[in-house]
Amino acid sequence: MNSSQTPSRPPLRSVLLRSRKHTILGFDPQKLIKYFFGSNASVAIIVLVLIMVFLMREGVDFLPTYQRELQTYRRAGLEFCDIIDQPLQRNQALSSSLRQALSASLETLSKTARDRRDAAFQLKRQVEDKTARPRESLTQALEKTPPPAPDQIEVLRRELKEAATSAAKSLEYPDLFTAAEREQLQREFAALTPESTDMPPLLQALVAEFSAKDREARTKFAALVTAQEEFEEATEPLQEVLDELKAKALETKEKAVEFEALETNRLRLLEAAAKETDAEEKASLTKEAEASVAEPVNMEERTKEITERTAELREQVEKYAGVVEKAAAELPQEAGTEAARRLINEVRADIPAHAREMRAAAARLDGWRWDKPVSIFSVIGAFFFGTQWITNSSWQDFFGFVPLLTGSLVIAAIAIVIATPVSVVAAIYTNQFASDREKEIIKPIIEFIQAIPSVVLGFIGISLVGNLIKDVSEWSWLQWVPGFPIQERLNMFNAGCLLAFMAVPTMFSLSEDALNNVPRAYIDASDALGATKLQTVFRVIVPAGISGILSAILLGLGRVVGETMVVLLVAGNRIAIPDFSAGPGVIFHPAHTLTGIIAQELGEVSRGSSHWQALFMVGIVLFAISLLVNWCARAVARRFEPHKA
Amino acid sequence: MTAPLMTPAAASQSTPPPVVQVRDMDFSYGASVALHDINLSVEYHRVTALIGPSGCGKSTLLRCINRMNDRVTGARVTRGEVLVKGKNIHDADVDLTQLRKQVGMVFQKSNPFPKTIYENVAYGLRIHGEKNKSVLDEAVERSLTHAALWEDLKDRLHTSALALSGGQQQRLCIARAIATVPDVLLMDEPCSALDPISTLKIEELMHQLAKEFTVVIVTHNMQQAVRVSDYTAFLHLGKLVEFAPTEELFTNPRERLTESYLRGTFS
Repeated sequence: MNSSQTPSRPPLRSVLLRSRKHTILGFDPQKLIKYFFGSNASVAIIVLVLIMVFLMREGVDFLPTYQRELQTYRRAGLEFCDIIDQPLQRNQALSSSLRQALSASLETLSKTARDRRDAAFQLKRQVEDKTARPRESLTQALEKTPPPAPDQIEVLRRELKEAATSAAKSLEYPDLFTAAEREQLQREFAALTPESTDMPPLLQALVAEFSAKDREARTKFAALVTAQEEFEEATEPLQEVLDELKAKALETKEKAVEFEALETNRLRLLEAAAKETDAEEKASLTKEAEASVAEPVNMEERTKEITERTAELREQVEKYAGVVEKAAAELPQEAGTEAARRLINEVRADIPAHAREMRAAAARLDGWRWDKPVSIFSVIGAFFFGTQWITNSSWQDFFGFVPLLTGSLVIAAIAIVIATPVSVVAAIYTNQFASDREKEIIKPIIEFIQAIPSVVLGFIGISLVGNLIKDVSEWSWLQWVPGFPIQERLNMFNAGCLLAFMAVPTMFSLSEDALNNVPRAYIDASDALGATKLQTVFRVIVPAGISGILSAILLGLGRVVGETMVVLLVAGNRIAIPDFSAGPGVIFHPAHTLTGIIAQELGEVSRGSSHWQALFMVGIVLFAISLLVNWCARAVARRFEPHKA
Repeated sequence: MTAPLMTPAAASQSTPPPVVQVRDMDFSYGASVALHDINLSVEYHRVTALIGPSGCGKSTLLRCINRMNDRVTGARVTRGEVLVKGKNIHDADVDLTQLRKQVGMVFQKSNPFPKTIYENVAYGLRIHGEKNKSVLDEAVERSLTHAALWEDLKDRLHTSALALSGGQQQRLCIARAIATVPDVLLMDEPCSALDPISTLKIEELMHQLAKEFTVVIVTHNMQQAVRVSDYTAFLHLGKLVEFAPTEELFTNPRERLTESYLRGTFS
């Protein structure tokens, strides 16, 4: 009404109408733009939720599946056998220690003889390699029918002889042989013909020499020889009984699994038949279902056959423990070398514990019940605290998470310990001390590291870093380092180094940002009080930026834990808890990781199997770890944020 | 009050000698000249105010006295000299950390470190190598008392300085600056970010401080200059237009430029 009085302004009503003209599908364009931007932001959240839902859906079934498998493991009696079998594994380790000690002892006497024998055979092989061609032509000529003219053969023989003579001359004879022996060897090698099946006399003599020495050594260390043999043979009667029971249990298990598969199949067919409307189809499905019938397995009866022999088994265990203890008592105090003596002493110290463990295991046999239910909590425990990850086993699959987690954590710890000082110090230098020109060089180079594909780094780890570490570990003046010399080129330390390299750009950039965000006013105040540059950096700037630096380290940790390619290629992939008894040297052992196991195994397992589900469980845990680390990084950034206190 | 000094040149001959003397100084940031032919003498235990319109170079002049301008690339004194206690501060044998220990500074915006109150005050002593706990305790108490904070804060010395109010933070910065017992205290518009009550407190403080320290204050607030200072220097476009006892400068300026600036009729 007012607007009608001023002609320059359009009436209120027409303003409202005009805005209604510009609608798209009945929506205000402003709103549409808002929804468009909003939906883009929410896509990220939706995708994240979908990932979580998918992981959960595949992984959450793992626990009931594993529970069923462990139930079968128990009901079929496999668990019963493992009560004895698992501690018995220790025998092999002890045996192998004794074998090592024995061979080291024997070598003290027989090593030279063995080396002489081996060197002579090596030389003979070299001559044979060098004369391969004339020998081949002569052999062929001899085998031809009709045989060629004798003079032709004579020519070939001469050629072989000449070749052999020159080959024998050109060889390098090690110092193990005396001058006379060298000459004799040369003569014997030159005389080698395809027909000569007998060993040349000197070689025979060398073989005899070794046997004599070996016999002598075995006499000298007779006590050790007997103890070792006794120890190794001690398992035999027990193993025999155990193997019988194991075979029985395995058969039960296989039957049970087969029955279950057929039964599931039958039920599925019947269900389909019930839904089917076509009479003919229905009949055929029903028929098929009837065919898919298996004989149910009477677990109780079959397991009883195993448990009936408990007494026998216990008796054998008792015998075994006795024999082993006797062998321990008979172990000699002396051995050929210091290392061998140490090994023997270790075994001697370990045997009582082993025997005790065996007896304790035998005592547990009576308490075992085939039908004791497997609770879901014990299944959760078996996954999260299980120390064995065994798959595709003919005996029983175990999905224990600890070996993988330990590998991942140790590698991540190594990487963070290496990367933290490097990246934080580099960030401090770049932010506080570098000239503008240096900054222009340092920052892009460090940030470029991020662009290196991790598979390339893995390749470098295999071909370069592994050999480098191994070579360095053999330097004599570095032998004080625990774990040196290393056995495996591919190990956790190698992987840790490469992951540290990968984490440096993230940690460097974020730390640098954190230092950059320290208010200029703090630096002014410190300067005005007469602080030197170093004092300002270490007393004001770094403490003020510490929250950012800590959160940079945590985000670096997140990156390291989630990295897959490098650890898969370089960590060595041995699925076992690293041997922490090796002390700090454990970092040079191989291991497997949470990420690596998924990458390696997921492609090969059948969809929906317990193994498949177990890998998804690992994925869920990995996801949870990443979330936790990121959450911690944010919490740290907030907690220590000094500028907003 | 001592006898009014007519010119800065006359001041240099009187006794005791001025604590800060600026002689024929030109200062430039790279190619652009920021200060031209400055002559200024600052007396012991007096408050000297630097006033002038924005961009006239008063803060730059203040920062020349403790060489804070050194950190700006290209900034340098091109002519003349700055003497603190009779020593040219650009001489090669001058230790910058010692100079800044003797010439403290308080900034426009309060900038306590993200540390405890105690550590803030003790910082200056610590970086100059003081480790003795009782010396530090004593200095913290003395400085906070000077800054009129001791009574309020003595029970929470070990809480974060950032939890204090704006006025308290600025007084903490003053306490931090005087903990090393400097001869001169430079204040760069110390009240410009504070409310009137906090401003009043700091102005009261300045009279107390002048008993022990020599204060040079930059302010854009002329009433404040009148209230707190004994001498006032008026700068315009990088030149020192007039330097006189405050009362004289405000009641009876000799230069027309000063007069028009004071009257607010600035062209």
